[in-house]
Amino acid sequence: MDHPPELTAEAPRVWDRPVVSVPVLICLSLVGGQLPSFSTAANLYILGTGGGLIWVGLSNRVPRRPAPRRLSSAALWWLLPVTVFGVFEGATFVLSVGDEFPTFSRLADPLLEDHLARSAAWFAWLAAFWGLVRR
Amino acid sequence: MMRALAIGGFLTAVLLFAAVEWAARREGSRIPSLADVCAFVMRYEVGPVPVGRIGLFGFWWWLGWHFLAR
Repeated sequence: MDHPPELTAEAPRVWDRPVVSVPVLICLSLVGGQLPSFSTAANLYILGTGGGLIWVGLSNRVPRRPAPRRLSSAALWWLLPVTVFGVFEGATFVLSVGDEFPTFSRLADPLLEDHLARSAAWFAWLAAFWGLVRR
Repeated sequence: MMRALAIGGFLTAVLLFAAVEWAARREGSRIPSLADVCAFVMRYEVGPVPVGRIGLFGFWWWLGWHFLAR
């Protein structure tokens, strides 16, 4: 029996629900968190997961949430944290004096050596990537 | 001293990111959330090429590779 279009709604696909996507992201993160920096496995794994998400995001396989057509001038507030971060990252990178005045990634490296913290970082990266794919 | 300055600077930036996102999520806020800003950037296309989408995906992939694979 056909329903008028205004009464029908597209049901989310099974794999598109948080009850499925969150455990999948957790599993991927736990695997990623075990792979050490500079290893071939880590490079291949991030190439695979990121490449897969880029492929899904550029195809029209996932329903996307509507994007705003324009932004108000209040969006300029975002320049404040971006500028502060950019100034410090730029200064630490250009001066390049190591641990005396470290870049953000140099500060993050010791924290990411712990497997649990590394898995959490993997989860944050994958979850944000999944969020981007769906926008 | 310089190390503390760097840590303080990056912490300030992180706190500012959180503060602006918090302000954006308040009811009636005119500030768009970071997700809305990203979605707006991803709308940018040159002809049939989704330049904004490719650019943001590429940046995010590079960020993950930089921190998690090297």
